[in-house]
Amino acid sequence: MENPSLLPLLDARLPLTEEKVAEAARLARVPLAQAWGVVRYYPRYRGLPQGRLLVDDPVARARGFARLREAADGSYPPLGLEALSPIYLRFNPEGRFVEWQGSLVPFRDFRLPFSLGHGKRLIPPEPILSLAQYRALGGLQALLALLQGRASPEGVLRAVEEAGLLGRGGAAFPAHVKMRTVAQGASPKYLVVNADESEPGNFKDRFLLEHHPFLVLEGALLAALAVGADKVFLYVREEFEAAQEGLQRALSELEEAGLLPVPTEVFRSGGLYICGEETALLESMEGKRAEPRLKPPFPGEKGLWGRPTLVQNVETLANLPLILREGPDAWRALEPKLFSISGDVAHPGLYELPLGTPLGEALRRAGGELGEVQAVLLGGAAGVFTRDLAFPLRFKERLPLGAGALVAFGRDVDLWEVLLGLVHFLKEESCGKCFPCPLGTAVQVEMVKRRERNRALVQDLAETLKGSLCGLGQSAYWAYQSLLEVEGAA
Amino acid sequence: MRLRVDGKEVEVQEGALLLQVAPVPTLCHHPHTETKGLCRLCLVEVNGRLHPACATLAQEGMEVKTETEALRRLRKTLLEWLALTTDLSQAPELLSLMERYGAEPARWPEVAGRKEREALKDNPFFLRDYAKCVNCRRCVDACGDGIMGVYALTLEDRGLLAHPTTPLGRPLPETPCVFCGNCVQVCPTGALRPLTLEVA
Repeated sequence: MENPSLLPLLDARLPLTEEKVAEAARLARVPLAQAWGVVRYYPRYRGLPQGRLLVDDPVARARGFARLREAADGSYPPLGLEALSPIYLRFNPEGRFVEWQGSLVPFRDFRLPFSLGHGKRLIPPEPILSLAQYRALGGLQALLALLQGRASPEGVLRAVEEAGLLGRGGAAFPAHVKMRTVAQGASPKYLVVNADESEPGNFKDRFLLEHHPFLVLEGALLAALAVGADKVFLYVREEFEAAQEGLQRALSELEEAGLLPVPTEVFRSGGLYICGEETALLESMEGKRAEPRLKPPFPGEKGLWGRPTLVQNVETLANLPLILREGPDAWRALEPKLFSISGDVAHPGLYELPLGTPLGEALRRAGGELGEVQAVLLGGAAGVFTRDLAFPLRFKERLPLGAGALVAFGRDVDLWEVLLGLVHFLKEESCGKCFPCPLGTAVQVEMVKRRERNRALVQDLAETLKGSLCGLGQSAYWAYQSLLEVEGAA
Repeated sequence: MRLRVDGKEVEVQEGALLLQVAPVPTLCHHPHTETKGLCRLCLVEVNGRLHPACATLAQEGMEVKTETEALRRLRKTLLEWLALTTDLSQAPELLSLMERYGAEPARWPEVAGRKEREALKDNPFFLRDYAKCVNCRRCVDACGDGIMGVYALTLEDRGLLAHPTTPLGRPLPETPCVFCGNCVQVCPTGALRPLTLEVA
């Protein structure tokens, strides 16, 4: 690390005053202008309501957003979990609480209260929160093999390549390609675990962090050793306080057991959707506004502080121990993927299913009545509506799988209201660095409000958003365009 | 080094930007600042993918298209959106681009834009009129890393609300500003303009 990072320095001084901002800037050795630009960028430094994230969860909107907001004391449902069940933030003199299915849970203790859904799976259904428990189930063997010289970094890279693991964060980029780029780079180099999941309907990384911290950490350490990273950073969504603490506890246990071969640190994320974009994430770690960088150069070549950096999604890394335990061929035969299934199904939750499972089958597992499904939002905010229940849930298919969110909508839901929630979310989360995205997402909200169906106009909107700097803008029109297709097919 | 631009073979030196061989409009790029790749007006198609010409090095054998139907639509739309949200009355280059691409902003719904911002007059030398600002960041860069290293400007807010501001939001005379005028020089839209040009 070249300089102390600005974000933790600001965090330590909340609530901020001008003097405290100036002090943090001095300690981070950055101009006051940079620190001020940062303060005026991230909601938590601007004194906006804490715990608020999704301005406007699309499912909440479909279920009467205004009414929900009143019930939520004027704050907002955190993290799009509204697709699971109504959820509110409560502020009282003792602190912040999450109201979930009738009970109040202190915000910092709140974990997703369900186990992994039924079916053949590689990840244990119940939470594994202690090292002893994890080892009893056969965990840590791949890491021990590597530490004891029974396996090699090249062996890990080869296994990932043979398994054909594609990144689970949404882009589905081959994991081994990124890993090899970093492995070939010169030290110092870094691994950043992208644990900034913050998309409506996606809660699989949150689940893994909260329920399976050792699996995530073993995967991260395997990757770090395989590419020769000098340090691991876990960039964790700011609201996942239980996950942050759980990871700290797990790290202490590993360290005490002498099983933490690479220094590993939990970094509190900037708390915005864009912070999950890998280069924006790196900017925020460097103490800047989380805005995407121009690519090339890619992070594998020039990442954190200009050094080779492997940025990998939580679920992607959690698959490494599974690939090494099962062997690439056996893993590949199962191709496990976590699906966040929510909306109008009887048993919303997390399901591990083989890639290629038909959409309808996935919904049935979660108690969906297929005859009652009007459409499914596939992939979250950067997602598409579809009514093709035979669609095989696989990457690189006709429709984007994204990070694996499936939100089902029943017959009585107004999909245009859902869409309005989505496009409002994207407008609020646009960083504003390039031109097409902030302009296009703002125009899009107005178009959706008036239920604009003019194909030529929507086509021009799409063509222009496509020219955005990063994936947020580039995919911002997908939901809109797909809803028109779904309507046309009806 | 040889590449093809709109079907014609072109020869360039190693290290040349596509902007030097591709006749495309640009807004955020400026030879004296490090701003680039933001406005996306200079996007070109290289081997089927979009790249900003101002931030992409020419390479041997590239197939560059500068004026496909999709690129024309993108530029036209982008200019329309700028006109919809921003006061472009003092941005003659953008106004002539709008004419060239046949922009018709009225085909889009109204957007609560940036036009409503009040001009800031906190010093005797120039105005900061952010109703005319497209957020190209040239001024911020000229003041900071790009030219002066003074850091009297930074950015405020996100999304469509993002625009330049001063550290702690102070009037310019209370910042490190030395009134060198570089920010005014690089501003493409008249958002920063000398007070001497204002009619009393």
